[in-house]
Amino acid sequence: MRISTTTFQNDAVAQMDALQVAMARTQQDLSTGLKVRTASDDPTGMAQVNQLSVLVSASVQYVSNSNTAQTNLQLEEQALTDASNVMQSANSLAVEANNSALTAAQRQNIATQLQQELQSLVSIGNRTDSAGNYLFAGYASSTTPFTQSGSNVTYNGANAVVQVQISENQSLSMGDTGSTAFMNIPAGNGTFVTAAGAGNSGTAAISPGTVQDPSQWVQGTYALSFTDPTTYQITDSGGNVVASGTYKDGDTISFNGAQVTVTGNPATGDQFLISPAGTSSAFGALSNLITTLNSTTLNNGQLATQISAAIKQINNSITNFSNVSASVGARLNAITTEQSAAGTNQTSLKSNIGDITNTDYTAATTQLSTEELALQAAQESYASIAKLSLFQYLR
Amino acid sequence: MSDILSTSISGLLAFQQALTVTSNNVSNAGSKGYSVENINLREAVGQGSATGYIGSGVNVQSVTRSYDEMLAAQVRSSQSSYSAFNTVATQAAQIDNMLSDTKTGLTASLQAFVNALQSVSTSPSSTAQRQVLLSQAKAVTQQLQNYQSQISQYGANVEQQIGNTVIQVNSLAKNIAALNAQIKGAEGGTGQVPNQLMDQRDQLIDQLSQYVNVNAVQENDGQMDLYMGSGQALVVASSAQTLVASPSSTDATKLNIGIANANGSATDVTSEITGGTLGGLLSTRSQVLDPTQNALGQIAVGLATLMNQQQAAGMDLNGNPGQPMFSVGGVLSAPSTANSGSGTLSVTRTNLSQLTADDYQLSFNGATWQLQDTTTGQAVPMTGTGTPADPFLAAGMSIVVNGTVNTGDNYVIHPTAGAVSQLAVLLTNPAQVAAASLGASAQGSGNTGNAVISSPTVTDPTNWTPGNFTISFTAANQYQVTDSGGNVVTSGAYNSGTPINFNGEQVAISGTPAAGDTFTVGPNSTANTGDNTNVLAMIGAMGSKALGGGTASLHDVANNLVSATGVLTQQAQANASAQQTVNQSATDARNNVSGVNLDEEAAKMLQFQQAYQACAQMIQTSNSVFQTLITAIQHG
Repeated sequence: MRISTTTFQNDAVAQMDALQVAMARTQQDLSTGLKVRTASDDPTGMAQVNQLSVLVSASVQYVSNSNTAQTNLQLEEQALTDASNVMQSANSLAVEANNSALTAAQRQNIATQLQQELQSLVSIGNRTDSAGNYLFAGYASSTTPFTQSGSNVTYNGANAVVQVQISENQSLSMGDTGSTAFMNIPAGNGTFVTAAGAGNSGTAAISPGTVQDPSQWVQGTYALSFTDPTTYQITDSGGNVVASGTYKDGDTISFNGAQVTVTGNPATGDQFLISPAGTSSAFGALSNLITTLNSTTLNNGQLATQISAAIKQINNSITNFSNVSASVGARLNAITTEQSAAGTNQTSLKSNIGDITNTDYTAATTQLSTEELALQAAQESYASIAKLSLFQYLR
Repeated sequence: MSDILSTSISGLLAFQQALTVTSNNVSNAGSKGYSVENINLREAVGQGSATGYIGSGVNVQSVTRSYDEMLAAQVRSSQSSYSAFNTVATQAAQIDNMLSDTKTGLTASLQAFVNALQSVSTSPSSTAQRQVLLSQAKAVTQQLQNYQSQISQYGANVEQQIGNTVIQVNSLAKNIAALNAQIKGAEGGTGQVPNQLMDQRDQLIDQLSQYVNVNAVQENDGQMDLYMGSGQALVVASSAQTLVASPSSTDATKLNIGIANANGSATDVTSEITGGTLGGLLSTRSQVLDPTQNALGQIAVGLATLMNQQQAAGMDLNGNPGQPMFSVGGVLSAPSTANSGSGTLSVTRTNLSQLTADDYQLSFNGATWQLQDTTTGQAVPMTGTGTPADPFLAAGMSIVVNGTVNTGDNYVIHPTAGAVSQLAVLLTNPAQVAAASLGASAQGSGNTGNAVISSPTVTDPTNWTPGNFTISFTAANQYQVTDSGGNVVTSGAYNSGTPINFNGEQVAISGTPAAGDTFTVGPNSTANTGDNTNVLAMIGAMGSKALGGGTASLHDVANNLVSATGVLTQQAQANASAQQTVNQSATDARNNVSGVNLDEEAAKMLQFQQAYQACAQMIQTSNSVFQTLITAIQHG
């Protein structure tokens, strides 16, 4: 075996070069704190890091989305509470008005107060968020949703609301339309509405009624007419008598699984109409009541019928507000849950990224010491072997 | 007595030469490419006498160098491999660095774009959020273009280096051929091997191996022939071929390597070039730069196609149908300059999902057309005949052949390579972001059921018309859709939540409808500035597996590019490092035969010095023997 002097020199230099490269690399790991700096350091790891980083970024965006949704839903919740309060005070006024002893002037006075409540309700319906977008206009966020003309209020907004993604798999409505919150409220008892005939001359009034047995109820328009002050009959739209009987003040009359209560004294030929319930609006409940109270032509029976229908309608509105409010509350809860989950999720994603990319300081420091030792050994051995030459002994 | 003298003198001269050889070895201990030389001494022919043959001294027979051709070949081939891998690794590492930043990389900026869409979805009417979206769109295009211009620069660099390397190879080949001639001349004259010229030639071949892998074959007359690849001659005896780098017949921006013919033309030998810097540069071009450029193009095409499709399905803040958000460069195709026909291709992209980041070649063999994926080498089946009415359809492209085509004509097609260069954001006004749906829906006021209708999403903008349609329930489980003229457009059995398609749009009704319930679907209202239906669809499109045959989203393609570049770099670096080790040990093995060992030379020096002194002493002895004889005669 023979080794050339160049081989010895080259190998020693190559060894020291390699050790220096390794040390530089370890030193870089330590000084940057990253063991994966480019994809070639760990292609699979880098692909994972990219994916995880995208998830973190998306999660931050979802939290931002849910913050926006939260702000808007909180504004909506407040608006619904305020609207409910307006309807509560309207209800008190209606109960106060439901008194046959009041004079027309007193009723008009109450009507004036109700007019104020109506305006408050319209202004609540037209509230905006911080960016000036209407809360209850749905997609038509820059269109004033409710316009009032006299006591008539119309909805100009859209019938759909913005869906916001608050997590990878969950979207929710950022608000409710004006039609859901204010307009499409079930009328009467939800199945039918009652009204006093326009030509009634007696003082009898009819209650909004209830459905006792939905299975027997047949949807349709019915007329409850008094053939004389103590005898009634109920006919359907085809003129068929579905119920009849004798009447005394305060009697509950049942037919087809439904019940209505009539109070007061009907005159012969007086009529009450029972027709299918559509929808009504919170504004309609107030404006109908205002019209009723301002009327000088209605008799007590007609007044009592319309006021109690209005009270029913006001209460329906309050129920609707609280239903919508409950749904808003549920969405706010979902947001809180997702925000907290996002926080945990981001922490764990970042820790996963750290596991892949961050330098293990203990391991790296140990490695650096090992490499240092090796380089030192290489240098010292080279220096001592390089001195050996036969020529030295030939002097 | 004269015999002692002449024998000693022959020794004296031989050891003087031996010391010269040793001295030459010691002097060249650090010379690159020097092979240690040995003196070969042989006893001179003896003189016959009655008592037997008596030796008549020593002759220097030859001075030979220690050299092992096989070890030298190993050094060269490992040097070629190392140079090639190192060239690829160096370039790949630059791309790797460029793409690798997780905070500002491609996946991060695509996600920032998605986040901007999300922000628009929470405040569709906000001009500020829309402006952020447009800025983010610009940022993505800018980033892709920065990458593209870096790659173009690297590409131009590679071409320049190919040109320079070819010049180096030619000069080396010429010098080797010249040395071949000298060596042949020198050997022929004396029968002695000209060691110095041989070393010089070996060193030039070593240098040449850095640029291109060559096989060296020694001829009987001492000349060395060099062959590249599968046997393309570079140097034969005393003549060298000239390599020329000239623009490729299919892509003028790329240089191909040819061998110059006597008539001035060149024979393409690009595929014969393996190993060395030159092989590495060619691999860099085909394995690193082109695929990266194509993948970036695929991302650009994907982004533009998905967003433009969805823009077309939406309504902007001004109430107009959405305009394209991005412009993107088309398919690049070119006839080979070698074609004899005048035909050209018109190629368009038709199917994003089928589109690949590969390159293609379309060729006509006189009877049929063939499409080959030149990246994978696979043949790609096509449908159609290539006419405008019935274009070839393959790999997400539609190809129309115009003009006359002759047998053997071929065309290259780059589906995505040119995409990024034309990528730009076309929307200038934030209001032009089509966040709202083209259509709107409403439920009839007299509905008694509790079914609700979704906002319509336009799935096919080209077939969508701004007409009014009514969906009515003829029974609780049966619907029909009628247009404004009362004509039934479609009808079917109702399933809650199942989309109903008509007029290029889609709605879903869910809940329990009652017979007689109606829903209307018509064009969206300009008032619906808060409608985010379409921007939600854009977010969906960005996350959809719309590429790679339905297997990859834009993010996936971007992420795959980063990790594929990483793998490529890692492999090239590992290969380069392995070949460096192989080269190191091959060099050591060669040096252990051919290198100078100073201790060995010191020992030889002592040996030859002592022998020289002994010979001198023999002359002295011969003198004293002669003196003794003279004295004896005088006294006698």
